[in-house]
Amino acid sequence: MSSDPDKLVAKADKLTKLTLTRWSADWRNATLNYEQAANAYRVAKKYEKAKDAFEKASKGQEMLTSPWDAAKHMESAAALAKELGNWNDVADLYRRASELYVECGRAQPASDALGKAARAVEDHLPDVAVQLYTDACSLLEEDDKDQMAFDLYRALTAVHIKLEKYTDAAAALLRLGLAADKCNASNSQFKAYLSAIVVYLYANDVKAAEKCYNDCSQIPAFLGSDQGRCGSRLISAYSEGNVEEIKRLAQSSTITHLDHAIIKLGRKLPTGEVTAVKAGTEEGEGLDEDDLT
Amino acid sequence: MSVIDLITRVDSICRKFDKYDVDKQAELNVSGDDAFARLYAVVEAELDSTIEKAESVASAKNRAAVVAINAEIRRTKARLLDEIPKLQRLAMKKVRGLSREELEARSDLVSALKDRIASVPDGTTTAAQPSSNGGASASTGIKFNSNYDGSFDSDYFQNTEETDRFRQEYEMRKMKQDEGLDVIAEGLDTLKDMAHDMNEELERQVPLVDEIDEKVDKASSDLRSTNVRLKDTVNQLRSSRNFCIDIILLCLVLGIAAYLYK
Repeated sequence: MSSDPDKLVAKADKLTKLTLTRWSADWRNATLNYEQAANAYRVAKKYEKAKDAFEKASKGQEMLTSPWDAAKHMESAAALAKELGNWNDVADLYRRASELYVECGRAQPASDALGKAARAVEDHLPDVAVQLYTDACSLLEEDDKDQMAFDLYRALTAVHIKLEKYTDAAAALLRLGLAADKCNASNSQFKAYLSAIVVYLYANDVKAAEKCYNDCSQIPAFLGSDQGRCGSRLISAYSEGNVEEIKRLAQSSTITHLDHAIIKLGRKLPTGEVTAVKAGTEEGEGLDEDDLT
Repeated sequence: MSVIDLITRVDSICRKFDKYDVDKQAELNVSGDDAFARLYAVVEAELDSTIEKAESVASAKNRAAVVAINAEIRRTKARLLDEIPKLQRLAMKKVRGLSREELEARSDLVSALKDRIASVPDGTTTAAQPSSNGGASASTGIKFNSNYDGSFDSDYFQNTEETDRFRQEYEMRKMKQDEGLDVIAEGLDTLKDMAHDMNEELERQVPLVDEIDEKVDKASSDLRSTNVRLKDTVNQLRSSRNFCIDIILLCLVLGIAAYLYK
């Protein structure tokens, strides 16, 4: 067997092409050849050719009805595409790989593949990354493996925060809380809720933060927890316009235990005009008095 | 004439001319009529003796003696303080031959007497002092403070300086303790958070480990059955009959080769 990858690829192509003399493609040998060629290309750092060879090998494995191997080859192809910097290709290849994994009935590697894809493209194609993360999380949730979804949700939140889409980030955190609730991971759940409140406050949306706090307080355990208390103190400090209190709370240990991205937001609190909230409530009271009298 | 004779004679002369001693007569007359004055005199006399005893405490070497004397002083003080209300009631009563100012002066006298009785040192303050200088416990500090709130007599001037110093030290140590406790609280918070996270991580891995367990069990049982079959196959291949045939054939080949090369 020649070790020259080009020759191997040519040979494999010949094996798969249907001609008069060949009535059925010999996928087994072809796949073998493709794999060898791909490995040789990778060693020689010819990433483009290696990627193509892997893709063909994966197709061969599909034909041989072994989706697991096919998926594995797809992933290798995608990793090479990452080296090349073809971000769209990366996303597509990883998606294909995850579909193949799902065919095998293995949700975990499928979501892993999507996660790797998202991490690879999040710097360059953040929207695509968001989509990939969401798909990965839904895959896991369908399979009742919520615990694994935590990390994905956290990464998703980080991407949203980088894109400055704070409502989306808060929504992602609340979904994290839901997933944590399903597996009784109360600590993660409460930290997720507190992070959501912090994100709303950073976006200067005090009403939404209050609403969020009230929603989360439906869960009695949250009220009594450290994170719940910190959240209520933050909200009350905001409504009183007490800047020192906000700064002090942001330095407190409860906030320090949250994710890095959230800590950075917390340190920058308060944003905007905190006193405006107090003035707003006073005006409201004035109007009420007028109405009554 | 001896000294004793002289003394006896002087005594008899004094007694003869006692009725001419104006001050003494006045005193006798007054104290005879006035219950207040009598009681006052009695209380004062006892107070003087108590003060003498208190002074003797300072010079007493024997600790037990000091304690005993202090106890007696305290008892006397309590008794005298009980007499004070009676004295006050008597002071209010109008007595013939006494002017109005003297009546008011009497109540002042009574209160002054009361203060003098209370001020007699009876050893309770001195007991606290050595422990406050030696120890740093907050409880002795508090006891000290309550005594401090009482009197500001010159007797206790030194004590108040020391209480100030001690109180400052107490406050500073309390502040340092608070800071230390804050640091400990933060550390404990971090530990708690880490412990929670570890707990969740372990819970996350429980089903994974279960899966691994199942798969490993299946794999090991597969291996075992494969091994058994392999052993059977190898045994069959290595049966003695085949072995003998192999040896015979080998000898034949060697013989043919030897013949060819001969």
